[in-house]
Amino acid sequence: MFTTHSRLDAVKPDPGMDAYWAGLDGGAFGDQLGYGYINPNTNQRLLTLGNSTSVSVSVSVSPKKRKGQSLQVVSDKEKKIKGCSEGESRTTNQNSNSKEASTNTSSKEKSKVSEVQKPDYIHVRARRGQATDSHSLAERVRREKISERMKYLQDLVPGCNKITGKAGMLDEIINYVQSLQKQVEFLSMKLATVNPGLDFNVDNVFTKEIFQTSTSEFPALGCSSVDSAYYQLNSTDQVVSYCGLDMGINSAEMGLRRGISAPISVPETFMDSSCFNQIQPTANWDADLQNLYKMEFEQVTLIPFQSHQFTGSNEGSNMKTET
Amino acid sequence: MHTSSKLTKEFTKKWVKGLQICCSSKKNMDVLERKKKIKLCADIALASAKNATTSWSIALISEAKKEGENEILVDNLLGPESPFKQQKTIPLMSACHKRVRSKKILKRSCSVGQRMKKMGPPKSNLAIYIAKTLVKKRTQVLQRLVPGGESMDEFSLIKEALDYILSLRVQVDVMRSLAHAAEVSNQSDPNVFG
Repeated sequence: MFTTHSRLDAVKPDPGMDAYWAGLDGGAFGDQLGYGYINPNTNQRLLTLGNSTSVSVSVSVSPKKRKGQSLQVVSDKEKKIKGCSEGESRTTNQNSNSKEASTNTSSKEKSKVSEVQKPDYIHVRARRGQATDSHSLAERVRREKISERMKYLQDLVPGCNKITGKAGMLDEIINYVQSLQKQVEFLSMKLATVNPGLDFNVDNVFTKEIFQTSTSEFPALGCSSVDSAYYQLNSTDQVVSYCGLDMGINSAEMGLRRGISAPISVPETFMDSSCFNQIQPTANWDADLQNLYKMEFEQVTLIPFQSHQFTGSNEGSNMKTET
Repeated sequence: MHTSSKLTKEFTKKWVKGLQICCSSKKNMDVLERKKKIKLCADIALASAKNATTSWSIALISEAKKEGENEILVDNLLGPESPFKQQKTIPLMSACHKRVRSKKILKRSCSVGQRMKKMGPPKSNLAIYIAKTLVKKRTQVLQRLVPGGESMDEFSLIKEALDYILSLRVQVDVMRSLAHAAEVSNQSDPNVFG
């Protein structure tokens, strides 16, 4: 084992690196001693590839089966890795070819090749991330997945465009999640205080919102022409003023609606007001608003079936049932 | 974003339903209790709106179910949906725990290599080591934040965090608009809630 160590020392590897690999392999990959270990039986050589961040270990031929397997894996992996320098690829080819060869010849080739490798090895000394091939491959795949997710997160979390490191990104994510959770807490507290009689008034609030948004503009719900006009209106920034308009127009009608206690299409048309309010903070809702309203207006026709608690013959209820 | 609007609808539906259920049972509640109920309803509604597609929602529901009084609420909210039934959560959790345990063993054995690595030339090793520690600490914090995050590996944790962020945004938006609407209604008609 230490003969190869000395040879490797000649090519100046990090002594810690070997130990790291050994530790890593010993800990993580119990049976794959052939990969990271400097095997006493064979002349192993640490082969590092130029541009990749992973290191592959080429194992010389030995009668043991697993070494052969590892050699195969090495060659496979090295084929996959792009940016290999020519010398290195040459050696990998030699490695794969020497699989059948006797140990003597392979060791000779290895000794030749390792000397060729020496300068490359020194160049790429810093580029070691993983110990062995299959693991480094898996590691790379995993890392790519994670970086892909990170990119998606960058779009999601506001203000993450400038941060590139994983730790910084995670920091931002944590802050964002914490702030969102705190917002939820605060809003639930606000809802608890704002509505002392929240239980049945939830319905009232909802119904008010419903009629505010729906009655003012749409005397005949379900008309496609009206819907299209509604869409056009929504897609602009007039929405906020529209919301205010709603309140103004329907203050007179509120007296009528007050008597309603049924949860008339609560969730669907509630969306109207919610989307109005949301247009300000989230500008990217615009594209979806049209779809949302389309869905809602389609569902308006279903309302009569949902609201079995209908009492009285209010305008709103008539409107709903007619459609 | 199409999914978020759908999620919004689902969430609001379930939340209102839950609020009706839980608020109809008790008439007199102090503010804190009410707030807790509201939040609970919101959380459960959010999780159930996901329809058991994500593990954080499953974890959230199973956490809520642990308290006896919430169970009725939860069951009512979820309705006939089977994916949130107890049987499904248990094998999931045990699998996750096994994974966590094996990961811990892995980490313990890897720490030997870490220690030896530190003894090497300090420059690149230390930087990498520091970076890894930072990331590890942050992932731990994130695990605590995301419900059910303790039993997740890094990659799925990020995925769950993504989904959780999206859902939290939906929740916040809906709650904010409801609060706003309630406020407006309160202002315009103060007699309503009398």
